[in-house]
Amino acid sequence: MFSLAMRSIRLRPGRFVATLLSAFLGATIIMTFNSMHDTAGGAGVDTVSSDTLTTSASVVGGYGTLLVFFAVASTLTVNVRQRHEEITLLRNTGATPAQIRRMVVGEASVVGLVASVLAVGPAMLAGRALLSVFRDSGQVAERVDYAFGPVALMSGLSIMLLACAGAAFLAVRRATRAVATGEREPRTRLRGFFAYGALVAGAGAVSATFAMDATEPALMAAPAYGAILLSVGFALLSPRLLSGVLGVLERPLGALAGASGYLTVHNMRQRAAQLAGVLMPLVLFTGMATATLYMQAIENDAIKASGVAKSVDDKNLETLNLVVVGIIVVFACVMLINSLYAATSYRSREFGQQRLAGATPAQVLGMVGVEGLVLTLTGVFFGTLSGLAGIVAFSSVRVDEALPLGSGSGPGQGQGLGIWLGVVSIAAAATLVTSLGTARRGLRTPAVEAVALAA
Amino acid sequence: MFRRTGTSRKGTAGPGRSTSSEALRLVSVTKTYGSSDENAVTALDRVSLGLRAGTFTAVMGPSGSGKSTLLQCAAGLDRPDRGVVRVDGEEMTGGTEAALTKFRRQRIGFVFQQYNLLPTLTVEQNTTLPLKLAGRRIDRNRAREILAQVGLGDRLGHRPDELSGGQRQRVAIARALVTEPSVIFADEPTGALDTRSAREVLRLLRETVRVHGRTVVMVTHDPVAASYADSVVFLADGRLAGELHAPTVDAVAERMAHLGDSADADASGYDAPLGV
Repeated sequence: MFSLAMRSIRLRPGRFVATLLSAFLGATIIMTFNSMHDTAGGAGVDTVSSDTLTTSASVVGGYGTLLVFFAVASTLTVNVRQRHEEITLLRNTGATPAQIRRMVVGEASVVGLVASVLAVGPAMLAGRALLSVFRDSGQVAERVDYAFGPVALMSGLSIMLLACAGAAFLAVRRATRAVATGEREPRTRLRGFFAYGALVAGAGAVSATFAMDATEPALMAAPAYGAILLSVGFALLSPRLLSGVLGVLERPLGALAGASGYLTVHNMRQRAAQLAGVLMPLVLFTGMATATLYMQAIENDAIKASGVAKSVDDKNLETLNLVVVGIIVVFACVMLINSLYAATSYRSREFGQQRLAGATPAQVLGMVGVEGLVLTLTGVFFGTLSGLAGIVAFSSVRVDEALPLGSGSGPGQGQGLGIWLGVVSIAAAATLVTSLGTARRGLRTPAVEAVALAA
Repeated sequence: MFRRTGTSRKGTAGPGRSTSSEALRLVSVTKTYGSSDENAVTALDRVSLGLRAGTFTAVMGPSGSGKSTLLQCAAGLDRPDRGVVRVDGEEMTGGTEAALTKFRRQRIGFVFQQYNLLPTLTVEQNTTLPLKLAGRRIDRNRAREILAQVGLGDRLGHRPDELSGGQRQRVAIARALVTEPSVIFADEPTGALDTRSAREVLRLLRETVRVHGRTVVMVTHDPVAASYADSVVFLADGRLAGELHAPTVDAVAERMAHLGDSADADASGYDAPLGV
């Protein structure tokens, strides 16, 4: 089975691009930050420098690993789903589920290995850049030298291999089971349990903020985690949220967007469960980015207002926050684009049927566009909601003001809507460009062929 | 004779249309696949054909004879390389897919082997979808009336995956009827059905001609299906190879069996195809 795996990678490298890209980005981030461990372990590094380096390595390394796993799992799930036909064919020619599992896991491991090796160079450069940022801000002593050693290399390789193989195993197990039983079993109850659990825990974490002191260094942690957990909860509930939103939007959409709007509403109603995969990264992205960026901005203003210079800890926290947001942005975008691309390219048959029923290409694109808008609106709304919960809690405790949006009434000049608008426009752009671009490509196939492809 | 409930449509001459006795006219239609000279395949070779309004015609031929290409070119799903296609006296023009789609919306209905109903819409919504897409007024009572005629009056709220193959195909026929097209094209409409459902679908297609006054063109390889038509047009190697009026199953089957002979005689470079 391994030789089959190698052959399928060699002959169709295009299919692995998404996985390779997310694994490469993931390996780069993991190795960049873990090389800080190597650097901290160098001779003659003082405790302050060493602390900064180790903290950033641990925090971002942990975060990164989680995100890498999600992103790789998302791309591999799509990859396996697209190869449904090939997997069925292999089963019919006598491959056991275990053999198919070995093949897919083998492929994913090779992709993970290649990605890690490719990431060594960029990780070294990024590590150097990160160290110089630390040095420039005085968080790390000038004379600390950069080192890329065994910790970075080994952690990068092992985490990537584990993430790729594990994600592939889960994805293919689901796929082979689905083939065997004919249908995917509904796991809505378990999902609902996790969703409400995350919401309750998130609300708890946000409330815990109020029990803390305004000057406590870890003050930001509770609302930040609260916001993240709320986002996760909403993301898990997204099929239900989507139906609710559609109930509200049904009439205006039908009136404003005509036949395209009509198709959108009916499609999304039926496909709410599938669209959840797209909504999830949208909610996570909006919620996490909004919460972290605004809290950091509020913190900066609060420090400025107090007239004290930023301490090394403050600076560390800021760097970390910005890096974490950066990583989230990249990975959420990769996940969003990947799942949206898969969801849309999967539908060229449906588009063909609509065209045969008399829809012009513009009407099909209109429908996809309206769908993208509804998705963005829903994702942004619930993402903002969870982000806001964290921000309000943090802001009330830190600067004694629920929403520091006001113009100069509180300490600092208040936060505008700029950050939020930036986050929203990235989310909207990624959603609309991906879905419309993919749909456009699907429309190039003549309708009769598009219908026959998957028949 | 045409039960048109809509008011006169823009861009078409009102009085000339209803008296036009020809629903479909192909003039020297040619379609070639493949670009280079060596591997170019001529799917249709200067095919000319005229079909009167209110007739039921079957198009038959062995695999690769060009019958699907004929249907696609005639129905505006594909563009012929050369030649003219006229539906209801109106020449099919338009370079873009949108232009062709708009042409089809007004004049052509489809019934496919794989039904091509939208899985997310109910029976009634699927039936009225072409009107919705064309921005035409939706007459619910009329749609329900048609659905009742095809025997689905009690299935309005069902989704396609809750219906049998025969029922799905009847929804497709209702959908094709609701826009009151000049010509209904059916591509192997019974290809995926058991014999009983197939008979029902064929009877319905014949009824759309007799009762509704539509023109139906059906591509099929099944002599039984073809025997329901008023006449059968045979196609071999992209050319017309005869016509049969008031066909019987045996007559069609015999003609099909010998279509290969003439093709063999014509073709001097390659082996005869096996079977049909």
